[in-house]
Amino acid sequence: MHLHIRRPGSRRARLLAAAATIAVGAVALAGCSSGSTVSSSSSPLKIGISLSLTGDFSDSGKAAQRGYDLWADVTNKAGGVLGRQVKLTIVDDASSPDQVVTNYTNLITQNKVDLVFGPYSSLLTVPASRVASRYHYAFIEPAGGGPSVFAQKLTNLFFVQPAPTTKGGDVFANYILSLPASQRPKTAGYAKLDDPFSAPIAESIQKRFEAAGIKTVYDQTYPAETADMTPIMSGMAAANPDVVIGGSQEADSFAQIKAMIQLKFNPKWLFESNGVNSPGDFPAAVGIANTEGAFSSADWYADSTIAGSTKFIADYTAKYGGTAQKIDPTSAEAYSAGLLLSQVAKKTGKIDNATIIKTLHTGTWPTLVGNLSWDQYGAPQGAYLLIQWINGKLTTVFPASTAQHAPVAPKPHWAG
Amino acid sequence: MHAFIQAVILGILTGGVYALMASGQTLIFGIMKVVNLAQGALVVLGAYLTYTLFTQLGIDPFLSILITTPLLFLVGVAVQWALLRPLHGDDVAQLSLLVTFAIALGIEGVLSFAYSATLTNVQPSYANFSWTVLGYQVSLVRFVAFVLSLVMLGALYFILQRTKFGRSVRATVQNPMSAQLLGVNANRVSALGFGLGAATAAAAGSVFGMLNSFNPGSHYDLISRLLTIVVLGGLGSIGGSVVAALVMGVASSVVSALASPIWSDFTFFIVLLLVLLIRPRGLFGARTRGAL
Repeated sequence: MHLHIRRPGSRRARLLAAAATIAVGAVALAGCSSGSTVSSSSSPLKIGISLSLTGDFSDSGKAAQRGYDLWADVTNKAGGVLGRQVKLTIVDDASSPDQVVTNYTNLITQNKVDLVFGPYSSLLTVPASRVASRYHYAFIEPAGGGPSVFAQKLTNLFFVQPAPTTKGGDVFANYILSLPASQRPKTAGYAKLDDPFSAPIAESIQKRFEAAGIKTVYDQTYPAETADMTPIMSGMAAANPDVVIGGSQEADSFAQIKAMIQLKFNPKWLFESNGVNSPGDFPAAVGIANTEGAFSSADWYADSTIAGSTKFIADYTAKYGGTAQKIDPTSAEAYSAGLLLSQVAKKTGKIDNATIIKTLHTGTWPTLVGNLSWDQYGAPQGAYLLIQWINGKLTTVFPASTAQHAPVAPKPHWAG
Repeated sequence: MHAFIQAVILGILTGGVYALMASGQTLIFGIMKVVNLAQGALVVLGAYLTYTLFTQLGIDPFLSILITTPLLFLVGVAVQWALLRPLHGDDVAQLSLLVTFAIALGIEGVLSFAYSATLTNVQPSYANFSWTVLGYQVSLVRFVAFVLSLVMLGALYFILQRTKFGRSVRATVQNPMSAQLLGVNANRVSALGFGLGAATAAAAGSVFGMLNSFNPGSHYDLISRLLTIVVLGGLGSIGGSVVAALVMGVASSVVSALASPIWSDFTFFIVLLLVLLIRPRGLFGARTRGAL
């Protein structure tokens, strides 16, 4: 679950997009037909994807690319999909919502790809999924889970994560409310980043906590440009809540924690919606000894016990090198998009868009990010895993059915 | 009251770091009338240099200032010599805006290429250490950074007031034409002045990298803060920028802690607006040139 806020800085991308739009218009005038015709069964299965290989989302875009490429490699080595070799066409959208529209239009009408997969971020998924819907393409997408994506009410869309992004913290509320009333926190403090993904995660937890009688003693929303969290966390420390909930992205969650350490404020429970779930960046930002006991949620991570994860890690490290801990969950999410396709083909013996849309709307589908099923508009119906840093490692602690360890509470004191 | 005093302490310490960055900015303006939009990018460059020295060679981030400062001084001199010196005429001020913005984008591009857009920070073992003084928390890094800023500002003051070079800088600020007639080499003064401004960015960058997570795009936020500090303090006044940085630090911190972080930057802009309405030249901007 990695979502980033768009920062200003893609002027060049917009120029390129404008130029490309004109080019597409010209070609369209030349008289091209469109449609989602599927080629004969011996020809390669062409899948088109637009990814942010440059610009603001480039790190995550490249992570998605590695996941897609790996799935295609593994699938082709095993004989392809229904005997057809997978051929990915990946084009760069420079993190621009204008360019992504041009790219998917081109992929569908010019390159005549058989299928498409989604781009990175909700910002790009919204316009891209509209293009796919217009041409009746299935839109399996691993990285657009914001409210704006599902508000479109598209029936061709499937978000490949366990739940919509704003429900990322519900599993923590499930855990806390599963405790006997006497062991639950009495007071809670909330620090929320003012963006469409982060604050709603904390608000969703807050609603359930307040309904269960956990008193809100501190509640603050901060703008995205807040670099220094210390003043906010000093307010939090003064209120001294039992549980601190950070509705955060990566940088601000690290800043919150650094500020808490410096202020020597150690809550009994600490949940951060993002950042803390990053196996490499979090210990690098706050020091490994300070990670102990922090909660977050995740769909896939290096020590995930889900079926297929070990093979995925082995294949990934064989192809790209590095260690399991360095694998971005976005790669596993993109890989899972491919897994869904393979399963539909296996189940139905067909791999056209109408079949994919119809088939995925029924049943439950095992992937690296859990068993997925969707409502009619593509919102996944599951829950994330609750993970906690225990002995320097991210560990699943809730729900009990998948837990590797019981949750550790109260949180050990900061190492400083 | 406790929360208020804690917020004031934080604000003063944070303000010190901004004072260091802004002093370079205002020095460059004072000498050359160049609004240096690359100052934020130079700070981020300094932070990345510190990061590399720390992670690759294990050099302490504070010690690395001894390496990064001369390095960025040279970068500053080179930039002034190659890109700003050729600008002539009455529109130097406007042209230099474009040139320095281009430099900022260039630095951002190179850093994105070298380090990727992922957020990073400099994390020595003492990064999160703090002292408890009378029940208030004082962060080690912030405190040392504050002291360092004072030392650097002191050194800057010494250079400007007590050296021959400083005298030529002040002369150039007061009246460039007369200074040249009296034998001051304006090109040399400008190049060294820009170098000095960049050097303050290097020192501030090391500290910035320990206090914040940063990526190559972090300079946009920085430069907007620096420009408001410099304008509030009075363009060209180093003392003014120090006072303005402290005002900004304390105002942001107190409002953030006691009211809402949403209002913290806004409050600072209200202060800026009020000061400019009453004193259009900022707090310490002099009516005559030569406020240095």
